[in-house]
Amino acid sequence: MDSIRKILYGILYEGETAVKFVIEHLSKHFEKKEVLKDIDFVFEEGKIYGLLGRNGAGKTTLFNCINRDIRSDGGNLFLETEEGRRELRAEDIGYVLSTPTVPEFLTGREFLKFFIDINEKSVRNPKALDEYFDYMSIAPEDRDKLLKDYSHGMKNKMQMLVNMIAEPNILLLDEPLTSLDVVVAEEMKSLLRSLKQGRITIFSTHLMDLALDLCDEIVLLNRGELEVVEKSSLDSHGFRDKIIAALKEEGYE
Amino acid sequence: MNKILKLSFSLKNTYRVNSILYSLKQIPLIKKFLPDTLYQERGLKIFANVLSVLGEVVSIFLGKLLYLLLMVYGAGKLYDGSGDTQIFLHILLFLTLIGGLANTKMFDPSRDKYYAMILMRMDAREYTLVNYTYAVMKVILGFLPFTILFGRAAGLPLWLCIALPFSIAGCKMSVAALSLWDYERRGSVYNENKLTKYVWIGLGALLGGAYALPAFGISFPVKMTICLMLLFLPMGGAGVCKIYSFRKYREINQELLSRQTNQMNTIAQTTKAGVEKKISADISITSNRKGFEYLNELFIKRHRKILWSSTEKIAYVCTAIVIGTLLLLYLKPEAKPAANYLVKNCLPYFTFIMYAINRGTGFTQALFMNCDHSLLTYSFYKEPGCILKLFQIRLREIMKINAVPALIIGGGLALVLNVSGGAVRWLDYGVLVISVLSMSLFFSVHYLVIYYLLQPYNAGTEIKSGMYRVVMSVTYFCCFCMMKLRMPVMVFGSMMIAFCVIYCMIACVLVYRLAPKTFRLRR
Repeated sequence: MDSIRKILYGILYEGETAVKFVIEHLSKHFEKKEVLKDIDFVFEEGKIYGLLGRNGAGKTTLFNCINRDIRSDGGNLFLETEEGRRELRAEDIGYVLSTPTVPEFLTGREFLKFFIDINEKSVRNPKALDEYFDYMSIAPEDRDKLLKDYSHGMKNKMQMLVNMIAEPNILLLDEPLTSLDVVVAEEMKSLLRSLKQGRITIFSTHLMDLALDLCDEIVLLNRGELEVVEKSSLDSHGFRDKIIAALKEEGYE
Repeated sequence: MNKILKLSFSLKNTYRVNSILYSLKQIPLIKKFLPDTLYQERGLKIFANVLSVLGEVVSIFLGKLLYLLLMVYGAGKLYDGSGDTQIFLHILLFLTLIGGLANTKMFDPSRDKYYAMILMRMDAREYTLVNYTYAVMKVILGFLPFTILFGRAAGLPLWLCIALPFSIAGCKMSVAALSLWDYERRGSVYNENKLTKYVWIGLGALLGGAYALPAFGISFPVKMTICLMLLFLPMGGAGVCKIYSFRKYREINQELLSRQTNQMNTIAQTTKAGVEKKISADISITSNRKGFEYLNELFIKRHRKILWSSTEKIAYVCTAIVIGTLLLLYLKPEAKPAANYLVKNCLPYFTFIMYAINRGTGFTQALFMNCDHSLLTYSFYKEPGCILKLFQIRLREIMKINAVPALIIGGGLALVLNVSGGAVRWLDYGVLVISVLSMSLFFSVHYLVIYYLLQPYNAGTEIKSGMYRVVMSVTYFCCFCMMKLRMPVMVFGSMMIAFCVIYCMIACVLVYRLAPKTFRLRR
């Protein structure tokens, strides 16, 4: 698997400084409710961040603000690379939604062809389309079906595949594994692990086990603020209790 | 019984009050002043309650008034011969039968029934009986004043006018009782929203009986109609016994409501599924192009049904109308001056026709539901260069689609003008063709530009932009007003062409400036 990944993406060159994604003073309110309160945070390359929060805490809002689908009230989003600091651009972000969205009138193969056509310049080492499908374990008989007839899991794989090929610096995943069957979920998990080098992966979920299993850092979105839960010397049980205690503090608002 | 009555009323009322508050929140401008907590504001709730009660009162009386006024009494006035009384009763009898079958008040799978009986697990029999009784009372009470009013006007005796509402209710109850009996016998539920072929044929025959028979001078004699109407009284009485002794309401309703599999789907989801169905499943469709041209070609080919096929149909109809008109002018030369005058002065009227036949709404809807809705979540699709490139391609496509009928209409008008006596100047012909073409161009640009600038849909495929609704209504209103305008071809045509050119230029500049910011998913 790893060798294929290297072929697909090239390797992180030695001596390259790690990319950082910097959020400064990000805020957003809906009517009277402050969902994001002046958030300052730095995400680092090569890590999977598990974003945990209660229902309605604003995880999707945070993602939508980062992806500029909704306008934030204020704040800046930067990318720090070896060339210095610059504003976040649309092409830096890959966003995989919990309900997969794919253009229903195309077949899987057509969607992939279109995507690669459009991103001709930025896709490194383009492969034959079937290789990509093989890599995602999408069966040959499904490749030429209309996407509207794909199952939920297959749509999700397509969305993930396209986001992988684009090689974004930041990969946002909004509860992507919650409605997948166990086999596909496992495939996706190992895929995400194999993809984490060279990019920042932020993964929102409600499932504690998934977060602990997959993520390198646990970040809580609590009362509109982001905070890292330090694992320090705790065992997994203690860590789990600490996370729940932190989330419970919020109570009802 | 009393508790069920109270509960089902308060449930229905809550549902209505919340719907009213929800719709208030959808109105542009007003929504800005409404707090987020509007569902708990006392004042607003009282206001919505008043509206809800008013709505109920109106629903009791208004429909019946219009029904008797327009469909029975008014329609009866159109026939002459057999006298008001006979026609009035004849039509009423047939329509009562139709109403009995199509508006049972019992077998209508509505949402409030789903909430009450399935979600809240209320006792199905009591709930149905209470609501059915109330519905029947509404029928009787609602009809009474108007059967007296129109019945007296049609020359019926007062006692009959008072008896008629009870007959109408009796008819409904006998149908309900028969269907319940049929369920016990065969196990199939009568669903008034999904009538069988035979019931539809029956309804058609009854409708024909109501309005076609009198047109041929045939109508039932007064005495016979009265007897039949009064027969519904004992039949209804027998129906009541059946309705009250029937036990299996839970079964019936469960089947009725579960058949509505998309019961809890929102309108938006239903629309989305509908548009998705329009995608052609023909896998042999391919494209040799690249990039956005590839995407576009596949989109157009797979949506042939709603884009090119319908524009072709319109084109055929227009051609037929043109040929028909030319034939008419050939056979009846005396019609020529009138036709000539019409073509020379009624060009503004065609603005409305072009508005009505342009495919802009269908095109943008399909674009969003089947394409942009999903692709807008990908960052590459939102890059300014891509948005504008695709805008160009799409504008070209919709212009092509709309131009076909426009050319036929423009050419047809020029032909008719020529045949009916000719134009004042040769230039008139050119102006005629080009102005109709420019109208079609205008609508193509207009719909696509508005779509790009206001992007009215949210991720749930609901229309969220109030501004979009306003613009669409203003467009309709302007085109509608154009119908009233009379202007010579030259004057209106050149104004139209100038307007279209200027509009298209401004609109495209706006898209190039703003679309990269405005063309995104609403959340």
